[in-house]
Amino acid sequence: MDSTPAAERPVLTVDGYSMAYDTDEGRIEALKNVSLSIHRGETHAIVGESGSGKTTLAWAITRYLPDNAHDLGGAILLSSEDMLAKTAAELTDLRGRRLAMVYQDPSSSLNPSMTLGDQVTEVLRRHRAMSPQEARSEAEAALARTGIRNPAAMMTRYPHEASGGEKQRVIIATAFACNPELIIFDEPTTALDILTANQIIELFLELREETGVAALYISHDLGLVSRVADTVSVLYQGEVVEQGDLKTVFAAPAHAYTQRLLAALPRPQDRLAVAAPQTDTPLMSLENIGVCYYTPSLLTRLLEPKTVAQYGARHISFSVRPGELLGVVGESGSGKSTIAKAATGLHPFEGRIVFDGKVYDSARALDRAYRRQVQIVFQHPDGSLNPRETIGRILARPLRLYDLVPRAQIAKRVAELLEMVLLPPEFASRYPHQLSGGQKQRVAIARAFAAEPRLVICDEITASLDVSVQATMARLLVDLQARSGAACIFITHDLNLVRQLAHRIVVMRNGAIVESFAAEDTEQTDRAPYTRELIDAVPVLDRPAISATTEVPHQ
Amino acid sequence: MGRILSTSNGVAGVILLTIVLTAALFGPWIAPYDPQLFHSQARLQGPSATHWLGTDQFGRDLLSRILNGAPSTVLFGMGATSLGVCAGTVIGVIAGVAGGRTDGVIMRILDGMLAMPELLFTLLIVTFLGGGTLQALLAVGVAFTPGMARIARSAVLSVRTREYVLAARARGESRSWIVLREVLPNAIGPIIVEATIRVSFAIMIGATLGFLGLGAQPPSTEWGLMVSEARQFMFRNPWGVIIPGIAIAMTAMGFNLFGDALRDAFDPKRSL
Repeated sequence: MDSTPAAERPVLTVDGYSMAYDTDEGRIEALKNVSLSIHRGETHAIVGESGSGKTTLAWAITRYLPDNAHDLGGAILLSSEDMLAKTAAELTDLRGRRLAMVYQDPSSSLNPSMTLGDQVTEVLRRHRAMSPQEARSEAEAALARTGIRNPAAMMTRYPHEASGGEKQRVIIATAFACNPELIIFDEPTTALDILTANQIIELFLELREETGVAALYISHDLGLVSRVADTVSVLYQGEVVEQGDLKTVFAAPAHAYTQRLLAALPRPQDRLAVAAPQTDTPLMSLENIGVCYYTPSLLTRLLEPKTVAQYGARHISFSVRPGELLGVVGESGSGKSTIAKAATGLHPFEGRIVFDGKVYDSARALDRAYRRQVQIVFQHPDGSLNPRETIGRILARPLRLYDLVPRAQIAKRVAELLEMVLLPPEFASRYPHQLSGGQKQRVAIARAFAAEPRLVICDEITASLDVSVQATMARLLVDLQARSGAACIFITHDLNLVRQLAHRIVVMRNGAIVESFAAEDTEQTDRAPYTRELIDAVPVLDRPAISATTEVPHQ
Repeated sequence: MGRILSTSNGVAGVILLTIVLTAALFGPWIAPYDPQLFHSQARLQGPSATHWLGTDQFGRDLLSRILNGAPSTVLFGMGATSLGVCAGTVIGVIAGVAGGRTDGVIMRILDGMLAMPELLFTLLIVTFLGGGTLQALLAVGVAFTPGMARIARSAVLSVRTREYVLAARARGESRSWIVLREVLPNAIGPIIVEATIRVSFAIMIGATLGFLGLGAQPPSTEWGLMVSEARQFMFRNPWGVIIPGIAIAMTAMGFNLFGDALRDAFDPKRSL
């Protein structure tokens, strides 16, 4: 965007602001001496890993803090007015009118028992003192500006009747409705699939152009940030480690942490994959697999003959060669995870699975040998380890269950497994809650490889991790694959990441396969339009000028 | 334990429970008199130096009777509750793990049982089985089963779809391993908490049955029965009603406050 005149006073000034939370473990400093300023029409991005204080900063600016939070000094000024000195009543009046927020999850930031129209008009009536009729027509106009096709119909709907993208549009319409001075976006696209996220970004750019609002854009997605923001602050453990013009910072990061963040971004040209398999005989093939989520009962069929069975995925056929990494890509709801569940026997399926020459035609038929050879790693590291068992017992379980090593050597093998995923052996006696998300995911991966599998299914294993941890996780997986020779089905929505890792890629949408192709052919012109869209949706950032060759150990 | 003691409710619960459990464990030995001994010279007396809490219509020492009644009253509460909790948990876990039609049938039957007030249901069972402590205990246990089953089922349902349970299923673990090692340890929290709260209900229902003459029979020192017997002489010596009444209230409150504190301590939202 164009540079702002220096004489104009900034919309938001944060000057040397520090704050802390009082917890059972004592005082924890969440923000240390944070300074930034945003001018009219400018978008300032805050980037950093989870726990770096991004969201706390947003709460601090809106003065919406829990009781155990304490300001430790500094100032927050909204158009030169001191936010710290404002009373609760003044703040209530100000929020929504002069300062709006857009949160991460559109489904939980709307009231499920009010129509979308009522939720927009409420803000207009409250802050712009409109009559009900005026507010309704203004709300309709606001919705129309966000590109909702039939705003009048959308006004009468309830949140559950709208898609995630539509809901986020309604929230953005509400945020812009009172022409606020500043809008804070807290990861507004994280909960949306990549194509919808892209549309939301376009919408934001358009509205910003129209209204000239100042925005604070919080995100961990550096690619998206590079498209929307003019200036950036890199937050690390509550401190701004680097600040400035986004293009300059991203092109030549000065601080080691920024360098690491940028280096961790997946770039398709940096191949990490193990050598491609030589053989063409598949290790496992799925033949015409279908997973049915809802079959109408006899009674339903009699009463409503139109109801049909609902499939999570249908007519899915693909195969994996030994040692290969097959990427499965698609937006949420495309049936990626459904396939993973069917292949591990967690959900009944139609069709057949051929594994190593043996045919399995139902989930019940999957025997112990199959279950040992096909392992799964789930998305959420917090959920995939039993919180009541130690890491050692968790890792020992597959060894005992499949009788892989003699009893006396289990402890030794567990230590080896921990070492394999780069964790110290004393972790064996710890409980899952004592580990970080990345460490837990390593344990989950170690557990899968403990069974000495020939195929590991990774269901979005990097999705809930920070960018920097994601990269190390991807490297770890490839390393384990190289050591064990296991094949891998890598399910993800991150096309850039999978292009680094996979030999072949399968694109899915609405429970069906769109196409499959070799990873190196991704850019070919004969790709399906949907694949094209996916590729275009994810910006690939250029490698920063200073290459981060030294790997900073992380988690 | 540290977290239980961090709230005033928790501290109060622990203190009350300590008093009650001490009485239940050592009561009969520290009682100053024989609980059945008549002091014909000192009938219906208020608290005094010789009889700290006064005497009843036959001149029996109230303190001794309370202390002697403590084991049976507290045991009754805990026994009836454990019966209900065990039966309820088994049924609830079966329903939750099996799911589908089994779950539907079990839960509809339990809903039918839940539709009847707990006390009425207990009275019905006691009427069938006849009066007596053991029968009352059985009746309270049965009456508690449906409610406990519901709680156990909902706890199991919330754990059943966690990824570590999915992981165990994908590994090909046996059903009993999944239930006993993966599901139950993580679902047991709410069940234990509900159980402690229910002990107080059980004691109160037991006292009610005793009062109605359907539970323990004279000359038992069960607290509910003591209230019932002293009722006729309430205007001549209110202490006969007040003392066992306070004992019942203390026990019920102790378990209740302790259960509340336990629930808060188990609540993951409260831990950082």
